[in-house]
Amino acid sequence: MSLCCKSLQGTVLYGIFTSSILATLKYESRADSKLMRASPEKTAVFICHCSGNISEHVDISAVKKTLKSEGISVFDYEYLCSSQGQALIKGKISEEGLDGIVIGSCTPSKHGTLFKKCIQETGLNRAMLEIANLREQCAWVHPEKAEATEKAISLLRGKLRRLQNVEPLEEIKVDIAPQALVIGGGISGITAALNLADNGISTFLVEKDSSIGGQMAKIGKIFSPDKLAEECAMCSLSPLMNEVAAHPKITLLTWTEVERVNGSAGNFRVLLKKKPRYVRDNCTACGRCTRVCPVVVENEFNCGHKDKKAISLRFSQSVPKVYCIDPEHCLQLNGEACDGEACGKCAEACRSGAIDFGQQDEFFEINVGAIVVATGFSEYDASQKPQYGYGIFSNVLTQMELARVLGINGPTKGELLRPSDSGRLSDADRSGASASGASVSGSSVSCTSVSGACVNQNDNLPAAGVPKRIVMIQCVGSRDEKAGGSPYCSRYCCMAALKHASLITKKHPDTEITICYIDMRAFGFYENYYRAVQDMGVSFVRGRPAEVVEKPDKSLVVRVEDTLNQKRLELPADLVVLSAAMLPSPGTREIAGVLNLSQDENGFVKERHSKLKPVDSSVDGIFVCGTAQGPKDITDAIAQAGLAAVRARAFITDSPKILENELAAINQLLCTRCGVCLDCPFEALSFSESGRVVVDPLICTGCGYCTRHCETGAIQVAGFTKTQLKAEIEGVLEEGDLLSFVNSGISALTCDNIGNSVLNYPSSVKLVRVPTGLVVDRDLLLHAFRHGAASVLFVEDPPDNPKAEIIYPLVASHFEKLKEELGADGSRLHFKKAYVPNTKGLAGTFTTLSREGEMIK
Amino acid sequence: MKLIENIPDRKLLLFKSCMVSHEYPGVESATRYVFDRLGIDYLVNDEQSCCTGIGHYTDLFEGLTTAAIAARNFAVARRCGYPNITCLCSTCYAVNKEACELLNTNDEVRDKVNSVFREQGLDDLVYEKGDMNPRTNFYHAVEILLSKADRIREEKQLDFAGTRAAAHHACHYYKVKYLDVVGNPENPQLIDTIAAACGAFPVRWYEDRTLTCGMGFSQLHLNKNTSLQVTKTKLDSLQRAGVELMLHMCPNCHIQYDRYQPVIEREFGVEYDMVHMNIAQFVALSMGADPYKVCGFQTHSVPLEGFLEKAGII
Repeated sequence: MSLCCKSLQGTVLYGIFTSSILATLKYESRADSKLMRASPEKTAVFICHCSGNISEHVDISAVKKTLKSEGISVFDYEYLCSSQGQALIKGKISEEGLDGIVIGSCTPSKHGTLFKKCIQETGLNRAMLEIANLREQCAWVHPEKAEATEKAISLLRGKLRRLQNVEPLEEIKVDIAPQALVIGGGISGITAALNLADNGISTFLVEKDSSIGGQMAKIGKIFSPDKLAEECAMCSLSPLMNEVAAHPKITLLTWTEVERVNGSAGNFRVLLKKKPRYVRDNCTACGRCTRVCPVVVENEFNCGHKDKKAISLRFSQSVPKVYCIDPEHCLQLNGEACDGEACGKCAEACRSGAIDFGQQDEFFEINVGAIVVATGFSEYDASQKPQYGYGIFSNVLTQMELARVLGINGPTKGELLRPSDSGRLSDADRSGASASGASVSGSSVSCTSVSGACVNQNDNLPAAGVPKRIVMIQCVGSRDEKAGGSPYCSRYCCMAALKHASLITKKHPDTEITICYIDMRAFGFYENYYRAVQDMGVSFVRGRPAEVVEKPDKSLVVRVEDTLNQKRLELPADLVVLSAAMLPSPGTREIAGVLNLSQDENGFVKERHSKLKPVDSSVDGIFVCGTAQGPKDITDAIAQAGLAAVRARAFITDSPKILENELAAINQLLCTRCGVCLDCPFEALSFSESGRVVVDPLICTGCGYCTRHCETGAIQVAGFTKTQLKAEIEGVLEEGDLLSFVNSGISALTCDNIGNSVLNYPSSVKLVRVPTGLVVDRDLLLHAFRHGAASVLFVEDPPDNPKAEIIYPLVASHFEKLKEELGADGSRLHFKKAYVPNTKGLAGTFTTLSREGEMIK
Repeated sequence: MKLIENIPDRKLLLFKSCMVSHEYPGVESATRYVFDRLGIDYLVNDEQSCCTGIGHYTDLFEGLTTAAIAARNFAVARRCGYPNITCLCSTCYAVNKEACELLNTNDEVRDKVNSVFREQGLDDLVYEKGDMNPRTNFYHAVEILLSKADRIREEKQLDFAGTRAAAHHACHYYKVKYLDVVGNPENPQLIDTIAAACGAFPVRWYEDRTLTCGMGFSQLHLNKNTSLQVTKTKLDSLQRAGVELMLHMCPNCHIQYDRYQPVIEREFGVEYDMVHMNIAQFVALSMGADPYKVCGFQTHSVPLEGFLEKAGII
C-alpha cells in the first residue's frame, strides 16, 4: 500500500504570466486517483509533550494504553518539532513501514508545514499525515486532567478514522513571478525595497502620498541606542530616498494606491490606482508654480499649519521631486475664478510645460511573486482623552507634533513657541510658506548650517513665546485598558519624550521640563541616554495625570499624583506634550483587508510566529515589517525591514512553488459534466476545450461552494471530502457532544486563541476544521446527530475581507437552508461569527451550547 | 464595553431606589412616564427590597448581608419573569452587579447565603451559579433612555434649544465597573447624548468633569467640610462654564448638589446660577410631562421655577 501512495504523488506544473497557458493547463486532477486507506496496523500515533504544555494536562500514558489496546502503535516525545523528534518519526516510518501518521501536538497552523515536510521526506504523500490539536484545543482549555485525557483520545481517534479514508493530495506547482511589491514608502518600505533591489529582485515601491519618507520625514532629530547626540533624521533618510529613486531595479510609484489583489502566493496580480498629480514628470521642481499659486492650504505634513500652497511638494526633500496639485483646493480644477478669470497661474508660470489639468486616475496591473507590507502607524487621536485637553486647549500638543515643531523644516522653522502665541506662529507660517519655494530653488538644505542659524535666531528672540515650563504626559492611549485606549506599550514614546526633553534643554536651558510617566522604558543601551537626560536636570514624576486645566492666560495646570510619595501635585505648564500611542495606520487596516491578512486584536498585521516567523504574514508570499506589524522605533523597524526583504527574496527565488492550500478537485470518472458547479463565486471553474470541468488553481479558494449541488459527489475539496469528514466525526463524537465545524481561516485562529488566552470550555465541545461551512451538507449533519451530537455549531469568518465578504453571505444562507431542511432538528443548529479579539465570546458560546446539550442528554 | 445595540427594552424590572423614593419620587414617576411612552416592557415589583447600598457604604451592612439581600432580589426578578434589573440609582446598579459577580465566582459566599436561606425555609431564594449574568442582566435606566435617543428626538413636544446643560455621570455607574460601561469611561457621554436629543446644548467638557459629587456617603456627615469643598469645586467650574442646568443620573449626587447647593452658598458666601434635575425628569419634561405631578419638582431644594418659566413650561 505504501508503494502505491508514493507512486500517486502527482505533480502538475503551471506557467505564469501568460493566461493563455494557464487556460490550457487547467487543473484536471483526480481522474486517476483512488481511495487510499491507511491500514490500522501500518498507522502510528506520535504524541508531543510540548515540554509539559500537553503532558501536564493530558495523561499521555493513559492515552497510549487505550490506543495500544486498540492495536495502534503510539510513540511520545518531549518535543516532536525538534530534529530529534522528526528523526523519531522518520525512523519509525522506515523501520515499521508505516503508511499513515497521526501527530498529537500544538495547532497545525504552528508546525503543520514542518511535520508535512518531515513525512514527505520519507516518500509518503502529505495526505497520510493528520495532526490532532492537543494543545490549544485540548490541554490549554480543559483544566481537568481526566477530561483533557478523554478529549485527547477522541481527537486522536477522529484523525485515525480520517486516515482510513484519505485520498492522496496532488502537488500543484506554480512558477513564481520574479518581482516584488513593497507597499508603503516610509523608512521600513524604503529599507525593504532597497534590500530587495540590491539582491537583484525587481521591486515596485508603492506609496499613497506624493513623496516617500513616511513618518520619519516629519521628525527633526532621531535618538540612537549607541550615542547621546541626536542625529538629523533627514540626513539619514534623504540619501536613502534618493537611492530608491535612482535604483535601476526599483520602480517607484508615489501618489498610488493598491486597489485590489487577485491570485495567490507567487502570482499576485495587483491592481494599482495612480492618482492624478496634474503635474507631469518633466517637472524640474523650480518652485515658480508654488510662488504664483493664490491658494494657501492646510499642510497635513506640518500638523495642519496653513503654510502650503495648492500646488506644492510634500516637503522640500521630497522624492520624487515632482510637484503635486491638491485637487480639493485648486481653483482651476474646481472651476473657481481668481481675479475674475480662470486661474491656471501655475501653468502660465511653468517653463517646462509640466502642468496638465487633464490628468485622470490611471489603473494598471502588475504581477508580483511576493509582497512586503510596510504601511506603518498613525498616532492615537488624543482628543479621545478630553481630560488632557488635546483639541480643546491650544497649548496641548502630541509628541509627533512637537517633533514637527522642532524640525528645521517645521511650521516655525525649528523654533520652539507656544502655539497660542498665534501672532508669532502665523508670522512664521507665512514666512514658512514663502521660504519653502525658496529653499527648493536654492541648493539642497544642509542641516548643520540651518540648525546653526536656528541657534542664532533664538539668541535674538524675545523670550515671550518660548515655553518656560513643559510637562510631558506618557502613555496617552497606551498601556490603557479602558475603552478608547490600547493595552500595549507603544515602545517608542519614552525615548521620544527623552529626546525632545534633551533637545529643548540644550537649546533653552531655562525651560523646565517634567515628564509624567508610569514606568520609564529605556530598554537596552538606551539606558545611557535616560541617565544623561536625568543629569541634564529634567524632572520625572511617576504618575498618570488626572486632568489638564487651562487658565485664562492660556497657560495650563497638570494635576497629577506623584505615586512615589503619594502627594498630589499641580504642575504649571506653558506647553503640555502628550506621548500618544502608536496605532496601526488606516492604510495598514485597509491593506490587511485587501490582502486577507490576519490582524491582532489591535489591528496590526499579525506575524505567523513572533520568534520563528516574525515577518511572515498569515498569507504565503506576503511579509510584513515596521510599525504595520507592531509599535517599534526606527532602529527596530529597519532591522525588521531587512529581514522581510530577505524572506521575500527567498520566497521568490524558491520557484516553482508547491501550493499549500487544499482546492476543489474533480473526479472525472464521476463527473457528469452537468455544469451545476460552474456557479463558483470566484469563477474558478469552467469547461475545458475537451468538455471537462476544470479548476483554476490560482483562483480557487477551496471554499467548497461547488460541492453543495454535485449529485454524484464528483467535486470535493481535497483533504475535506465528505467521507473524510464523516470518518472524523465518528471518531471524535460522544453522546451529547457539541460538534462545531470551524472555518480554517480566522475562526480556527480564534479557537486556538481561546487556548492561548487561558480560557476554558467543556471537553464535550468537539471542533472539526473545514475549509468553510459550505462543505457541510444535510447528510453530514444527520450523520453527526446519529453519532451523538446534541447540537452543531458553525463557526465562520466574519465578512471583513474581500474573500470572506463573498463567502460569508453564502455560508449564512446555506446555514439557514440547512436549518429549514432539518425541520424540528433545525433548532439544534447554531451559527457564530468568530472575531479574533472575541475569544471570550466564542468560549462563552461553546460553554452555553454544550450545557444545553447536557440537558438534552 | 457595553454596546448600545445590546441594551434591551423588554423584561426590565424597574428597580426601586430608597433614595429616589424618599428624596425625589419624581425621578421614578418621570422614568415610568417616559418608559410608557416609548413602549418599554417593564415592571415594578413591590416584593423587591432595598439594595442595602446606603447601609453598606456607611458600614452598617457587611458584604455577606448585602450579597444575601441581592440574591433575594434576584429571585424576585427571576420569579416575575423580568430578569433585567434596571436601576434608577447608580449605587443600586453597582451593588447588584458586584453582588451578582460575587455570587457567581465565590463559592464560599454563595454557599453561606444559600445555607441561610435553607435554614430559614426560604428555598425559593437559593441562588445557583450563573442564575444571573453580571454583564447582561444589569442596567441603569439611563442606558435604556440612551438606546432610545432617536425615539426621544422624534417624540419630544418641547425643544430645549439653547439650554446649556452639563452632565454629572455618577461614579458608581462608570467608575466601579469601568470595563462594562456604554462608551469611554473616561469621558461618558450618556447624559449629554440624551440631553442633545431633547434639543439642549450639552457642555461636553468642563474642568473637573470627572470629579465625584463629594457625598462619599458617610463622608458627608463625618467630614462635612471636605465633602462640601469637593462639591463646591465642581459647582465653581460649572459656574465658570456658564452652565444653567446640571443633569444627574444618581439620587445621591442629586441630593448632594440640590440639597447642599444652598448650604454651600450660605456657608462659603457664594452664589450659583444652576438648577438640578435627573435626566429622566428632563426627558419627561421635553415629552410634555407635568413638572409637578410627574416630575415632582416640588421636592427639590433649588427652585426650578425660573428655569421652567424661561422654557415656557409654567
